[in-house]
Amino acid sequence: MHGQPFTLKGPDGAGRVLLGGDLNAFTAPRGSLAGMLVKSGNKEITFDMSGLVGLDLNGAAILMDLEKTLGDLGVRVSFEGVPEEEKEIWELARDTSAKIPDTSPPAPLGFIPATGKMIMDFLKDGYELTMFFGEVVIDGIGLLLRPWTGRWATTLKIAERSVVDAVPVTILVGFLVGLILAFQSAMVMQLFGVDIFVADLVGLAIIRELGALLTAIVLTGRSGSAFSSELASMKTNQEIDAMVTMGLSPVKNLALPRIVALTFATPILTVLGDMAGLLGGNVVMVAIGHPVAVFWKELSGHLDLSDIFTGFFKSFVFGFTVALVGCQRGLFAGSGPSDVGEATTLGVVTNIILIAILDSLFAVLFYVLDW
Amino acid sequence: MGQDRENLISNDIGKGVARDALGYDPNALPLEVIDMTVAYPGQPPLLEGVSFKVEHGEILGILGPSGCGKSSLLRHLVGLEYPRRGTALVLGEDIFANGEESLNRARHRFGVMYQSGALFGDLNLLDNVAMPLKEYSRLGPGARKAAAALKLALVGLSGFEYHMPAEISGGMRKRAAIARALALEPSLLFLDEPGAGLDPVTATGLDHLILTLSRNLGLSFVVVTHELRSILTMIDRAILLDKTACGIADSGTPKYLAEESEVPAAKAFFLRDQEERAL
Repeated sequence: MHGQPFTLKGPDGAGRVLLGGDLNAFTAPRGSLAGMLVKSGNKEITFDMSGLVGLDLNGAAILMDLEKTLGDLGVRVSFEGVPEEEKEIWELARDTSAKIPDTSPPAPLGFIPATGKMIMDFLKDGYELTMFFGEVVIDGIGLLLRPWTGRWATTLKIAERSVVDAVPVTILVGFLVGLILAFQSAMVMQLFGVDIFVADLVGLAIIRELGALLTAIVLTGRSGSAFSSELASMKTNQEIDAMVTMGLSPVKNLALPRIVALTFATPILTVLGDMAGLLGGNVVMVAIGHPVAVFWKELSGHLDLSDIFTGFFKSFVFGFTVALVGCQRGLFAGSGPSDVGEATTLGVVTNIILIAILDSLFAVLFYVLDW
Repeated sequence: MGQDRENLISNDIGKGVARDALGYDPNALPLEVIDMTVAYPGQPPLLEGVSFKVEHGEILGILGPSGCGKSSLLRHLVGLEYPRRGTALVLGEDIFANGEESLNRARHRFGVMYQSGALFGDLNLLDNVAMPLKEYSRLGPGARKAAAALKLALVGLSGFEYHMPAEISGGMRKRAAIARALALEPSLLFLDEPGAGLDPVTATGLDHLILTLSRNLGLSFVVVTHELRSILTMIDRAILLDKTACGIADSGTPKYLAEESEVPAAKAFFLRDQEERAL
């Protein structure tokens, strides 16, 4: 590499192109040389390399790419006059290049195969999740029969991490949602003089529906994603393999403590979220002129046990689902570093979809049961 | 500090010598380390007063037991950390002279292969190698592809251009990492533990590849290693780091260090070979 500018003169009438200077990745001419050479109309081009004072592998690659491009356009290319000092690198590049097979990137799947693959992946996903659910149920029954074999210290630690640390965010989200809901509905209801019913609307919506739903979404982002990434990282580090070869069940030792912790922690968080939501509604009611006692009296007159039970029941199921999916995505992750991120994203997406589906199913079920 | 650095550098930078395309003197030493002190902020120095040179086409080994500061020295040489004192010259130019600016310029003239290969997992091998070319060179897409395929072929990976890093073995990943380090045709390559985690056959193959590249392309290598087989196979000259000496305990050819050096650190380092063989 000598740093002299690369020069190209020609082609002359005989198709001769004189190369000079230093040819490498930093001195290469910008723009398409092939286009310019084809325009000259020569069917045979000879590159005279005797003027080159420097050539490296990148420079050689430029010339060989030119040879290929011109060849594809029907122009025959030859090289001559390789300087003695550059012969070694030129021959190395030519010999090495001759060994490169003609490969091309894998073609993207067509519409039908891509759709088929998507369906197969979806079915495989569903199958794996179902199998995992089965394993969790079997190990869960085993734990009930022999509770002393459980990892209760770990379970408590996970529950503490999932509940205590999630309290501020759950309360904040619950309070703000209660506030917004009350505020938006109060504006319309005031027009008809029925703003007292804001208390019922907020109370029923939060306790029956939104409390459990919002807590589940908060936990999906906080704990479900953490479970996925923790377990996927363990998979990458071969910790899961080590556990299996030691005869220990990853489901029992890693997944079950997390599932038990979150299943029983979610209702506690839901209650806190519900209370914060009601408080948010109460603040708006006070702001529009209704005393605190009126809000609670109105609410207690319309809320019954079945409302509280439905919210509570849903929070159990949502907690179980968030932990189940989070752990399954982590344990079934690939073993590469990028698989950790993929498992986490997939876990969050699956959880949000599943929670929405389950909530819809519950809505239908409770309607049919008249709860 | 600036004055110190100027005093340390004796090369005749900017005195009318021939320059390469990036303005470097191709005849200057690929690497010269001058009185370098390796230390992390708030901690006592790991190495003090480290000075050595790397000649054109030479494979220099940085040897020493675990924890002696080999990898820390490498991090300073490639500019991931700044030395507390002293400096390093690449092709005669101080890589720390103007902070990141001079470092980034120097990074075009040296390549680095990390212990794990450190290939970008979301790019295939061809795109991994072509990435520096796309960023820094004037090559168009066709020439970039040809140049990247040539580098991959040079390290024995023809036919794997469109494989993803996760689809190939550890040894192949290291070869691809060398191809990527070669992308901009540097004068100097830093290799961190090339044989680590590989079986002896694959590791020996990698040693031979490094030797071939050095001989065919005239490349200089700085290889951090503690693998005796690699040291004896490919290293031309080595510096032996020692924690007690807080710097270079001894330097010379591997043969000298293994058989003639009277330095206790050299004896301890090479004696394990005999112990391993005895076992």
